[in-house]
Amino acid sequence: MEEPTDLIRSARFRKEREADWLRLEELATKAETQGLRRMSFGEARDLAALYREATTSLAIAREISLDKGLLSYLEALTARAYLSVYAPQESARGVIGRFMRKSGPIAMRKSWFFVLLGFLSMGLGGLAGYLLYFDDPSWFYVLMPGELAGGRSPDATTGYLRSVIYDDDPDASGLGAFATYLFSHNTRIAIFVFGLGVFLCAPAILLTFYNGLIIGVFFALHVDRGLGWDLFGWLSIHGVTELSAICIACGGGIQLGAAVLFPGQSTRAEALRIAGRDAAKLAIVAALMLVAAAFIEGYGRQLIQDRNARLIIGWTIGGLWLMWFVRGGRAQA
Amino acid sequence: MKRQRKAKAPAPAPDPNVLLPPEGVPLHLAVSGMGARFGAQITDILITMIGAIALVVLLAVMNLTSPQTLWAISALLFFIIRIPYYVLTELAWNGQTIGKRMMKIKVVSRDGLSLSAHALVVRNLMKEAEIFLPGTLLLTLDAASPVASLISLGWIVGTIMVPLLNKRRQRLGDMIAGTYVIDLPTPILLKDLAQSVPKPVKDKFVFLSHQLDHYGALELQTLEDLLRAQENRPSMQTNARNKATLDSVIAKIRNKIGYADKVAPADSVAFLRAFYNAQRAHLEQKQLFGERRQDKFHADKAEKD
Repeated sequence: MEEPTDLIRSARFRKEREADWLRLEELATKAETQGLRRMSFGEARDLAALYREATTSLAIAREISLDKGLLSYLEALTARAYLSVYAPQESARGVIGRFMRKSGPIAMRKSWFFVLLGFLSMGLGGLAGYLLYFDDPSWFYVLMPGELAGGRSPDATTGYLRSVIYDDDPDASGLGAFATYLFSHNTRIAIFVFGLGVFLCAPAILLTFYNGLIIGVFFALHVDRGLGWDLFGWLSIHGVTELSAICIACGGGIQLGAAVLFPGQSTRAEALRIAGRDAAKLAIVAALMLVAAAFIEGYGRQLIQDRNARLIIGWTIGGLWLMWFVRGGRAQA
Repeated sequence: MKRQRKAKAPAPAPDPNVLLPPEGVPLHLAVSGMGARFGAQITDILITMIGAIALVVLLAVMNLTSPQTLWAISALLFFIIRIPYYVLTELAWNGQTIGKRMMKIKVVSRDGLSLSAHALVVRNLMKEAEIFLPGTLLLTLDAASPVASLISLGWIVGTIMVPLLNKRRQRLGDMIAGTYVIDLPTPILLKDLAQSVPKPVKDKFVFLSHQLDHYGALELQTLEDLLRAQENRPSMQTNARNKATLDSVIAKIRNKIGYADKVAPADSVAFLRAFYNAQRAHLEQKQLFGERRQDKFHADKAEKD
């Protein structure tokens, strides 16, 4: 074929580079369908080099060419190549490992203040509930939702209360109990306190406080009947993990709400984005703790009936969590 | 604090469709519409649900579950499959779940860098609070408790409004993660019209410099579309209405630029091609020397300035 020599400038520009663009298109498609990992060294190198060449071509073409077909082609090609060059380079295993080893506990330590607020909301709620009950036991009916109490109210006999704590005849066990539990009250509370935090802090704090109130009156009822330690053991075995999870979720929610309320120098959206870095990690930590608590609830609480064993297991697991938060991710001395 | 914020000069609102990669050449990536995203979401929900149902059936067959707890277990499995599904697919396929692949949309990072694992986790965790929580609420709406219904309705309306109210159609999760969803562009390399002009045709129609001063880029590119349509569908050239269109276009051009010679009906496409070539060369030349002519009113604009 004879070469036309009287081509206009932009057509010559295109003719010189067309082969590279087509090669880039082929490589970008390959990267999209098969993934960068499966490409050979040469192909990956060419992809990066040709992509940068194409960005230059695009910048030049915008200046010198009026060919709409060419401009939109280059635009789309560069975008496709950009998206495959700047792809996440992490593997799922690497991400999970990094979270467990480093970023999870570091985020916990960084947002200690918000976590503390979460624990305070629940703790104060519990104290208020406890005092309210001794002020007037009828507060129990006001604060405690019926379906959660399961017949355990000031009207119940001490013997009944004891039988619930030391349940000799578990009807549902294992996986079923685990699943049922996870969709019980507390998990929903944890999701809500985190989610509601975004809509300004108040709902998260109130909900955690209310949860504390429930525990407070419930505890007071048992103390009143001389079952305080037994209930403490019953709650400890999974509650240390579970209630901490709710408080941590609340801390994450408060952190998001605080970013919306007090964005400082940045815009609200920007502040929310920055706060989200740690808050999301708090949510994941809380989720892990809830799953762990569900396992303990599903298998442990029915199997272990001894009060002291329950106390030891519950608080040991709590101590392990604390150790993870305090020690995890620190540079080895 | 208020004073400080006012002191800052208001930045010009950036075009939501432009993404700036680290190379510094802005790319036009159209923000994806709500329809495509909704479609992708439905597909993904169906996929995860089928996965959960398959597992529940497996558990039931293996007698690992009792009928009383079946409902709780299936809800749990749906939940447990769902969250890692979104995060891991978007991590592995660079911001695309299976549903997004089908709808040809993709998550990108607003800062132009690659998506981080953190961003993907955040946007999908928030999806729980934004989509699935109101979704389940919607399914469990109960006429008996009007307050709960109103709250959940308000929530649903709120979460749907958020993406409609900002230009990049970001959900709350997108805002926290610093991401948004784009339509994936498809590169199609069309033939260069200026390249395929036979030499004898070029000599047949000659345009003088002053004849090319009338039009700008807009008219040139409109002509380009017309010519590409002729090229793509050769059958059109025998169509009577198409012929009439071409004739009227040629008459307009000849009238505007003062081209005296008659153009034979058989040569109409060839004439337009030659004119396109000459006009493009002329405009590109002008552009190189710093004079961008947007459209045929360029002369009026130049006078005003």
